[in-house]
Order: sequence, then C-alpha cells, then structure tokens
Amino acid sequence: NSPAPLPERAIYGFALFLGSWFGFILYVIWAYIPETWLFSLGLTYWPQKYWAVALPVYLLVAVGIGYILLFGINMMSTAPLNSTHTITDNYAKKQQQKKFQEEAIPALRDIPISEVNRMFFLPEK
Amino acid sequence: MAEERGFRSASGAPIALRRRQHSASCRELAVRGPRLQLRSLSAATSAVWLAAYGLFALSENSMVLSAAIFITLIGLIVYLHFVKIDQESLLVIGSLGIQVTSSYASGKESTTFIEIGQVKDVVINEAIHMQKVIYYLCILLQDPEDPQGVSEVVPLFQSSKPRLDCLIEVYKSCQEILEQRKTAPQSS
Repeated sequence: NSPAPLPERAIYGFALFLGSWFGFILYVIWAYIPETWLFSLGLTYWPQKYWAVALPVYLLVAVGIGYILLFGINMMSTAPLNSTHTITDNYAKKQQQKKFQEEAIPALRDIPISEVNRMFFLPEK
Repeated sequence: MAEERGFRSASGAPIALRRRQHSASCRELAVRGPRLQLRSLSAATSAVWLAAYGLFALSENSMVLSAAIFITLIGLIVYLHFVKIDQESLLVIGSLGIQVTSSYASGKESTTFIEIGQVKDVVINEAIHMQKVIYYLCILLQDPEDPQGVSEVVPLFQSSKPRLDCLIEVYKSCQEILEQRKTAPQSS
C-alpha cells in the first residue's frame, strides 16, 4: 500500500487527466454555444442550460453549508458537562486490576479521577 | 470565621470567593459574580431603542416604539429573574450532605441538596465546553449497585465559572470535610 509510482497508476492518472479535460471541454461547449447552433449540428438532446449555472452554485452552497454542518455536528457530539462520559468510559470500567508486584513498574491502567485530583491538588509541599 | 478573596472567572470577569467555617465539619463557600453593570444595561437599552426608532422611521407605525419599550422592560425582568446569577454557594455539612444554592439578581434562590450517602467525591474535572477546555468542580454521585462506579455528575459554579486557582481552594476545603467521614464512618 505504498504511495510509490507504478506503471498502472501512471496509466490511471493519464486516463483521468484526459477524461477530466474532455468533460471540461464538453461542459464549456454546452454552457456557451447557443442552442440553435447545436440544434443545427443535429445534437438536440441536452439538459436545459439552466443547469449549467445551477449545478456549480448548488455545489458551492453545499460546501459552504458543509463547513457549518461539521461545526454543528462536532458541538452536538461533545459530551455535556454533566455526563459521566467526561469521567470514564466502558473500557475503563471493565479493566482488570493487575496484582501489585514489589520493585516492578506498575501496569498501565486508567486511574480514577479522585486519585488524580488528590495527587495534583492536595499535596502542600 | 469568614474570609474573602478575589479571583477571575474563565472569561476574565472578577469574582470573589467567600469562605466561612461554621464548625469543624461545616463549611460554606460562596462565589459571587460581578453585578449587572449600568453601562451594559444602558448600551443594550439604547441599541434596542435605536433599532426601534429606525423601524419607526421606515414604517411610520408608532406601535413599534411602544413595543420596543415593552420588550425592553420584559426582557430586563426575565433576565434578572431567570438568567443573571449573582452568587453561587456550596454548603458542606460533614455528616449530613451538600447544599448548592444559586441566587439570582431578582432575589430568587434555587437550592439543591445532596445527601452525604449519595456523594462519592468532589473533584475538579476538565472538559470541552464551547470551543474551550475548562476546569470545573463537580460532585460525583455514588452508583448504588457498583461501589466503584459513578452514577451522575453534578457540575457546580456553572454561571460564574471560576478558574483553577479558585477551584483548588474550594476543592481543598471540601476534601478536608469529606475526609472526616472516612475516619469516623460508623457513627451514622
């Protein structure tokens, strides 16, 4: 899964490059050339020209709303101040207590908030 | 025995912490926020009245002006009675419980009492609140089924939001009282 260049990736990249240029030229032709000229060429089945302006506007407004929506979703998923999720969670509740061995580094665990508070705020010295 | 010290709230407003020791196992800690300032009241009233005068100039309807006066009066009364908290106090009685009182600017007081058997601990917790990380004091309530578990978290001093230095003072005072119930557990 390395990002190194490979021959297949070069071919996909070039095909995408040509495809996106083709799509862009087609869009510009559709948006700018008057309908009568296109009809005279025999190409009659196009979407309405309204969409040549409407689709980009929809896209940009969606991007703008997406910023605000993401902000709002983040704020909604933050735990409120009175929820126990700010103190503990399922993994901390179900953790097993390893036995204390002398002269060994204690095992890694979630320390309860009361102990942490005592350690931080109570010692005077 | 009472003492008062000045601190700052999380947003920078000056607050005062008053500590009173009623007895060896009873302490009262009160955090008093800043009073309603005359200049912010005048600014808000002028803004509303200017907007109403602008609307009146546009619409030539004099009801707009009387509606603005009405809205200002009602808004001020609602704000003083339901929103503006002057003082929040915590009364810790060692063998009885903890009482939390909020006094509003209109004189209304709202009280909550938590019995000592339900109190697991009083801790300083940090959490994300409106794009900031704040420290706040909270009471952890004991879960009846699980002796190590916490059933509920009751945040304190929500409207004055003191900073960590003030919270550490309150925390130390509360812990001195809560420790006494470990050394004398069988009396109640």
